Amino acid sequence: MANRLGIVVVMVAGVAFTAPLFAHHGAASFDSANMVTLKGTVTEYVWSNPHVLVKVDVKDDSGNVARWVLEAWNPVTQSSRGWTKNTFKPGDEVSLDISPAKNKQPVGEIRGRIVINGKEFKESQ
Amino acid sequence: MSKRLIVSLAAVLAVGISPLLRAQDEKWNRIPPKRAAYNGKKPSGPAPRRDLSGIWDAAQTLGVSGATEHPALLPGGRGQEGGREDETGVAKPLPYTAAGLEALKKNKPSGPGVRQVDSVLTNDPAGMCDPLGFPYMFLWELRTLNVVQTPKQVIILSPFYGNYRVIWTDGRKPPADPDPRYNGYSVGRWLDDYTFAVQTTGMLPKTWLDHAGRAHSDQLVVDETYHRVAGDTIEYTMKITDPKMYSEPWLALNAIPLHLMADDFDIPELLCSPSEFAEYNKQVAAPVLRDPSAK
Repeated sequence: MANRLGIVVVMVAGVAFTAPLFAHHGAASFDSANMVTLKGTVTEYVWSNPHVLVKVDVKDDSGNVARWVLEAWNPVTQSSRGWTKNTFKPGDEVSLDISPAKNKQPVGEIRGRIVINGKEFKESQ
Repeated sequence: MSKRLIVSLAAVLAVGISPLLRAQDEKWNRIPPKRAAYNGKKPSGPAPRRDLSGIWDAAQTLGVSGATEHPALLPGGRGQEGGREDETGVAKPLPYTAAGLEALKKNKPSGPGVRQVDSVLTNDPAGMCDPLGFPYMFLWELRTLNVVQTPKQVIILSPFYGNYRVIWTDGRKPPADPDPRYNGYSVGRWLDDYTFAVQTTGMLPKTWLDHAGRAHSDQLVVDETYHRVAGDTIEYTMKITDPKMYSEPWLALNAIPLHLMADDFDIPELLCSPSEFAEYNKQVAAPVLRDPSAK
């Protein structure tokens, strides 16, 4: 059973994602057909170009911690979705739908539902 | 005055002032409407004579897979995951010459399209924060433009990657033997009161035409028309002529609408920082490389 920090990684194959059809660049490295729900603790939030980054520690049932790096788009595009420089902060417990890297590295693209400290963050449409 | 009273007053002041501060900040870093907001919108209002000045929004995602009239995509928008050497099978192929095809294959784009490579493998000038030059600056995520008009110039400022253009309207001719420049040499003239034509030559051959890695030579000529069809709308068209690379001229953009924004619209900056890009490549692009042997 997952502990409070959240150690569940759920494969949600074939789920439609809400991101735009075309990514800025480099989207071919991510597996957009298999979305993953990642639960963990934010360690860093980087509001910069070319992509905003959210770094999240994810602990498994054995207590091992994987340090994930998750990218969004650039700050201007994220602003149009309602994000700000303060959307995340270190220590936030989050649940994020992502497209993981095809090569299985702990890197992904934020793609869908976002929950921060138990509250769903609704992006602007 | 008691400490509790002071704290209470400070809290009241904070609650009262914060909406005012937020209202002030809303003047800055304005976000244009989503593309869908323009669906079905008809051009409206009288067009002023011989005037393009203003802040114009082109709805940002145009050209992300290459020049909009010829995206590097298979029919149905398929193929954006890349992996191909050339553009065989794309829905609207370009008239490449042999030299044009050879030059295309040397350029490795990271944008979504049939020739997409992993970010860390691209040689896209944009991936190194090199100047995009013209017309690349208009053929990738054309966003919001600030157009300033003087008696002798039309100046176009694009906060996306910090680009600018100067179009001379003083009657000068294009240079006969130009030293190549990233943005080339632009001259413009009014064909009628509402149609402004621009011709640009002398662009650096090492720059790309668009985000799909289309190449050009020193023979490139870019013809643009800005047709002000109404007070709030310009229809913008771009034609590419380069006999070394393409057997005939082709349209890159065809009457795409530019929408007039409010005159106090503050465009957010979106600059390319080499150090930030290097950090991104280190933390994201390099780790996600699909085939490490390809590096």
